[in-house]
Amino acid sequence: MKSVIEILKEIRPEFDFSTSEDFIVDGMLDSFDVVTLVATLDKNYRISIAGTDIVPENFRNLKTITELLVKSGAQV
Amino acid sequence: MRKVGSMDEVYAALQAVKNKASAYCTNFFPVPNKLLARIEAGQLLLDASPDAVVFLNPDCDFWRIHFCAANPAALRRKFESLATIKTDPVVIEIIQPENQTDDLLPVIKAIGFRPYARLCRLARAGSAQPAEKSVDAGQAVYAAAADAREIHELIDDSFDRYAEQIPQKADIEIALKNRQILIVKNNQTIAGLLYFETTGASSAIRYWLVSQKFRSLSYGSVLMRNYLATHSAIRRFTLWVMADNEGALQKYRHYGYTNDGLIDQVLVNENVNHEIGN
Repeated sequence: MKSVIEILKEIRPEFDFSTSEDFIVDGMLDSFDVVTLVATLDKNYRISIAGTDIVPENFRNLKTITELLVKSGAQV
Repeated sequence: MRKVGSMDEVYAALQAVKNKASAYCTNFFPVPNKLLARIEAGQLLLDASPDAVVFLNPDCDFWRIHFCAANPAALRRKFESLATIKTDPVVIEIIQPENQTDDLLPVIKAIGFRPYARLCRLARAGSAQPAEKSVDAGQAVYAAAADAREIHELIDDSFDRYAEQIPQKADIEIALKNRQILIVKNNQTIAGLLYFETTGASSAIRYWLVSQKFRSLSYGSVLMRNYLATHSAIRRFTLWVMADNEGALQKYRHYGYTNDGLIDQVLVNENVNHEIGN
């Protein structure tokens, strides 16, 4: 199973996601990337992230994404 | 069909469909602040079934449709039940990686849509250097509020309304306030413009044009060089361009842009009586 940071790196290899506190504000993930990320996380962790959770606040950084995964039932 | 009153309605509709998804499919990649602006302007309609939801928003004299569906069969049922598709001009865009197996286009073609245009996304890595404070700007300057009408007319005349999403006047006013439109003038007339959107370390060109009567005077080059020089801290540059516009592709390649593998297929229904170039 891939880690969140490995998945992010596959989507946007040019960015270092370990150094940012806000991927959205820093322009590292756009709206298409977020939808791609949700689909990849769903598949990778065998979960279904709720539509109501697909909001920028949940994709700001590694911590919020991990919290979202836990909330969605993933074993992180 | 009903008018959307809040972002929560959008998210709830997405969740309802996602809960039933066996092969979730969508062309809906909302940018929250832009979506909110549409909702507040009363320009977003929603038509939901248990396994599919479509969002409609007016654009010029036609509708743009975005959708989320549990699977392609649910999407087809939803489209077949949608009266707007039978009566009005409608545009649907499918954005996906170029190498992705295509199961959505046949569904959309089966309900009477035809391919209209194909755009590809180009990207360019930035150097992540601090922005230069002093740039040889040539004649390029940031456009002012008084330029709004002329900018709108130029974009509307130069780009295809079905495929290239002409900005509304309100969009242009926001871009002007945010200093996101560079122009060059010849006497008092705007000869060319470069309209961009920057978020953090990413910047996207929306429109880059030189008016027909001012071509071959290097205005396009002045605009692009100014844009790149003043955005030297950017890590990632992107743009969408018509995939068959070889002239534009050559220019972008000259400045280091390359295809990043994402494709936007634009489809129109039989109520759109227009072909590109006419």
